[in-house]
Amino acid sequence: MLSRTAEYLYWISRYMERAETTARLLDVGYRMSLFPNPSGYNNEWESVLSAAGAIEGYKNKYDTIEQRNVEDYLFFDESNPSSVYNCILNARNNALVVRTSFTPESWLAINKTYQEILNLKEKKFTKSDLPDLTEWTIEQVNLFRGSLSSLLRNDGYNFLFLGLFIERADNSARLLDVKYFVLLPKPQYVGGNIDNMQWSILLRSLSSFRAFRWAYDGNITATKIADFLVLNSNCPRSLSFCIQNIVKHLTNLTCSPEKVGRIYNNLKDLNTKIQEEKIETIVEYGLHQFVTQFIRKISSVDNEIHKEFFN
Amino acid sequence: MYQSQSVIRKHYNNINDWLDQMTSKVILEKNAEAETHFRNIGITFSTNNETARERIIPFDLIPRIFTYTEWLKLERGVIQRAKALNAFLADIYNQGEIIKANIIPKEIIYKKKSFEPSMIGFSPPRDIYSPIIGIDLVRTGPNDYFVLEDNCRTPSGVSYMLENREIMMRMFPDLFHNNRVTPIDDYPTRLLQTLMSLAPIKCENSEPVCVLLTPGPLNSAYYEHSFLSDQMGIEMVESTDLFVEGKYLYMKTVDGPKRVDVVYRRIDDDFLDPLCFNPQSVIGIPGIMDVYRTGGVNICSAPGAGIADDKAIYIYVPEMIKFYLGEQPILDNVETWNCEKEQELKYVLDNINELVVKEVDGSGGYGMLIGPKSSKSSIDEFKTKLSTNPKGYIAQPLLDLSFSPTLIKNQVEGRRVDLRPFCLIGEQAQLSSGGLTRVAMNEGSFVVNSSQGGGVKDTWVLAE
Repeated sequence: MLSRTAEYLYWISRYMERAETTARLLDVGYRMSLFPNPSGYNNEWESVLSAAGAIEGYKNKYDTIEQRNVEDYLFFDESNPSSVYNCILNARNNALVVRTSFTPESWLAINKTYQEILNLKEKKFTKSDLPDLTEWTIEQVNLFRGSLSSLLRNDGYNFLFLGLFIERADNSARLLDVKYFVLLPKPQYVGGNIDNMQWSILLRSLSSFRAFRWAYDGNITATKIADFLVLNSNCPRSLSFCIQNIVKHLTNLTCSPEKVGRIYNNLKDLNTKIQEEKIETIVEYGLHQFVTQFIRKISSVDNEIHKEFFN
Repeated sequence: MYQSQSVIRKHYNNINDWLDQMTSKVILEKNAEAETHFRNIGITFSTNNETARERIIPFDLIPRIFTYTEWLKLERGVIQRAKALNAFLADIYNQGEIIKANIIPKEIIYKKKSFEPSMIGFSPPRDIYSPIIGIDLVRTGPNDYFVLEDNCRTPSGVSYMLENREIMMRMFPDLFHNNRVTPIDDYPTRLLQTLMSLAPIKCENSEPVCVLLTPGPLNSAYYEHSFLSDQMGIEMVESTDLFVEGKYLYMKTVDGPKRVDVVYRRIDDDFLDPLCFNPQSVIGIPGIMDVYRTGGVNICSAPGAGIADDKAIYIYVPEMIKFYLGEQPILDNVETWNCEKEQELKYVLDNINELVVKEVDGSGGYGMLIGPKSSKSSIDEFKTKLSTNPKGYIAQPLLDLSFSPTLIKNQVEGRRVDLRPFCLIGEQAQLSSGGLTRVAMNEGSFVVNSSQGGGVKDTWVLAE
């Protein structure tokens, strides 16, 4: 497989994954804006922007944080590299180049999404359209992922999934990083209104709200949520799940065993640690530090993949 | 479709019945379906503006039909022409017999920009310079076909030929139950066989590694590049994916370098090798010409093959056929005046109102004058151009191109058409059983080019 093809495949699924993350964050922000708080309504837009890694860009463009502008910035804005629009545009432009490396169904899934978002962009949307837009995005990304099941299980397939899980690991970790304080054990009564709200933000943005209820019995506690999102390898967005899949798709590559070996060696410790560690230890040591380290590691693995395979 | 004003030619009867059954509602729906399909598969023109909507070529639902006998003549004629053009290239880059025989003046050849001096004395595998040739044909009467031009470099449009058929089969399966239409979907396989049969001398693979070289997504034929490489199962590469080391050409893969035997290039000569051609080019592969000339790789079509489809050389193709093949041309040329010659220029200037004047290096229906349809001012403009640069132009009579029934606003109307079938020459010479029919969608128009409002049709060749 051409190095460039591998790189484009990798980035297609990164972009599609990122489109979903951005859409989910918007959904969470929208939901929160409907709930009252003592001073009016809840405003989670700032943390939504932080979690989307878009706060700086947004502030360069707008002076105040307003729902309408945040929505537009995160969904349609061409100057925001992570806007849903840009993610889909980039995925589609990459797919155009490597369409020969996946099935017609996968190409169609991406290209239809692209055609539709062009139509959406032309229409004026109102505040209440947002749920439709985010739902549409998630649906489209799922369509794309579903289409991948018809692919040959070759290196191209593994590069697609490497991209997907690198992106997801990064997104999940960043979200935890923005909200980690919610998960710190508190001496006072846990389960108050604010906490509930914050936890629900976290879980919803990781599409794990209901899954959590099924995975854990009894009361919701900060530690259980932290365990779920960091260590639980049944949760498809947990850091642990992402790492396991990165390792899986990396070691499934049939090209260049030496290159695979080098990248794996860099990842090995983190993988072992995340499988064996207890959440209590991580929280005690510092959840924030743990997550920061994790983000750094993922980024270095990403760099290595680029260096080894795409150059 | 019509034999005379009211008599339908026999092989169009089925289509006529089918048209009668279709209500305007169905036609509208099917048109929309075709458009959606073309957009979804991405068979679009890209524009320079990335976010702007890409354009699709209008697709007409009514197929154009050739009978088996009609096609047989075209097939023989096109293959004959393609063989002669290759023989011509082999000759002018080697002995130059046709020049010695005073059939073509040498200035016409050696002074042309499309003549490639670096090819002199080199023979590509099997002496095939141009393995894929698209011949543009028009029809003016039941048995009168004329060649409008030859395309020996990298003719495009074959993806439309294939996709037009796909969409027709999908939308109107019954039509294909009732008409015995020769399939064309083996074209990519034949193309790959052709390329593999042209492996270079130093090729060590029993199945030569072929790649398709594209300039990239901004090229207007990009869809076709990816379509063909997908159908052939070969890598579509950009020049940055290739590099020369030692005497071989390699592509960069995740496994490391992989040797390439045959490059089906869809980029112009100028952009092949900055060491040999245009040093400003950023999309070339430095050193590829050296590998090519030492038999490490084959480049299809060969650099310098473009001289064979030059509009000034076109005039001599019938002579070539006689000279190289010892045969009478099966397909005729359009009568052409070469403005370079003083007498012919005079004729053109005197009769410009009746003629079509074309730039020698023009394409896409641009830079031409259709005398009978032009205003006095544009005629005068061309007269000046002709007098100042006569060798830049040729002139031809305005041909009465055949009409084909076309759906215009739900009504069947006659529109002018041409045809580009695709000829492959490798181990054997063969013609696609169909081609690209382009149709001038505007009433009375003679210009079928997609850049100027032309559309396309599915083209049927009926089985024997």
